[in-house]
Amino acid sequence: MEDGGWTFEAIGTRWRISTEVPLTSTVVRAVALRVDAFDRDWSRFRAGSVVDAVRAGAGRHRMPDDAGPLLDLYDRLHAATGGAMSPAVGDGLEHLGYDAAYSLRPRPGHRPAADWAAVRWEPPHLVTTEPFVLDVGAAGKGYLADLVADVVVRTQREEGASGAVTVDASGDLVHRAAPGATGGTGSAGAAGLRVALEHPERPGYAVGVATLSGVGAATALCGSATNRRTWGDGVHHVLDARTGAPVDGVLATWVVAGSALVADGLATALFLLDPDDAAALAGDLGASYVRLDRGPTGSGHRLLVSPDFPGEVFA
Amino acid sequence: MASLSPARRWFAVVATASTLALTTACGVGQSDDADTGSSADDSSQDAGSGGDGGSGTSEGSGTFTAGTYDAEGGYTSPGGEQSVTVEATIAEDGTIEEIEVTPGATDPTSERYQGQFADGIADEVVGQPIDGLDVSVVSGSSLTSGGFNAAIEDIIAEAQA
Repeated sequence: MEDGGWTFEAIGTRWRISTEVPLTSTVVRAVALRVDAFDRDWSRFRAGSVVDAVRAGAGRHRMPDDAGPLLDLYDRLHAATGGAMSPAVGDGLEHLGYDAAYSLRPRPGHRPAADWAAVRWEPPHLVTTEPFVLDVGAAGKGYLADLVADVVVRTQREEGASGAVTVDASGDLVHRAAPGATGGTGSAGAAGLRVALEHPERPGYAVGVATLSGVGAATALCGSATNRRTWGDGVHHVLDARTGAPVDGVLATWVVAGSALVADGLATALFLLDPDDAAALAGDLGASYVRLDRGPTGSGHRLLVSPDFPGEVFA
Repeated sequence: MASLSPARRWFAVVATASTLALTTACGVGQSDDADTGSSADDSSQDAGSGGDGGSGTSEGSGTFTAGTYDAEGGYTSPGGEQSVTVEATIAEDGTIEEIEVTPGATDPTSERYQGQFADGIADEVVGQPIDGLDVSVVSGSSLTSGGFNAAIEDIIAEAQA
């Protein structure tokens, strides 16, 4: 099942692709081209990307061909969080030192994001009225995991092969069962992919295990933890776009959904919502989740779990 | 999953509303179906007679005493006083192996809230060693971007220079 694994570095993180049918050089090449195009188009850290254009000035910006699903999801999450989640959060991140040079030196105070509601998406153009730093980091990695899985499945099909495919972008996962597999419990050999949800404060320990059947709403899993990228006291990469300040109170989230795009985006949005709104949004998106909060008094923890989360939690 | 030793009851329990069970099942090579939900447990049912327990004899010399513990907790919501009942099975090393939470709420809003998050009661989420979990992949904090890690190391080195 895990034969044919291939590990590589892309968009600043480690990727591993495991396939039932071993990867050919044709598939590897197709994946490499796809990943490179995405990085060139979207990276906040690369010259010549669409991010550069949006930063340089207001106007009509031709977006990459794959922009639609990503911007649509951001629109939805922006609305659901009352503007707390925004792809215009890049200025706030750079203000805190999370920039192309990884300077990681926070400037005093915080910088609120430009108003995303004032930006118009007229495919294929993004129409902006002021320059800002576009950052799709909260959903982009998951989206790319979907796109890579698409490329593997499509290219293997062209080669007359089919089988289960797992794309692991350092814990952001897409697992697609072989065509025809039911993926549910009870069918032999389709137990699914078991994923440990690592405790953000206890490396080597898990707060639970998710099981991805590889079909339907249990195809993708993405996680986010604020202490994963911390470069100062209380300084990390999940900001409230309205203020530009890092959020507090939520330690980690994991989302299981039908796509890694949704799972990744929602994993960040869950940091920005109270428990009832978080549950409602996940329901709307057909997703389930585990969220680890700081305890109400500041010590201890509180674990929030969707009733339909596919897995176990060690509360 | 059976408890490891005779149950000790801190507070006896009367199960009222629907039960949301969260079976965690620790241990190496454990391969049961990972289903949460269902299974009204006999142990909390048979505690039925109520009363105010306190019969626990936790000796235990500094470490945890393995066993099954029950407790009832209350909190104040906008809808009034609410209660939940928790039963936990704890191993000798302190790992919580099984926890079962029974909402006792009658207020509809609170019932919904507790139903969704009934398993969110633990004071301290300890977790279980990943080594024993038979998983293929880990999603979590020890996996970080290479570039970010390198930058952090640079800054630390600079600070020490």
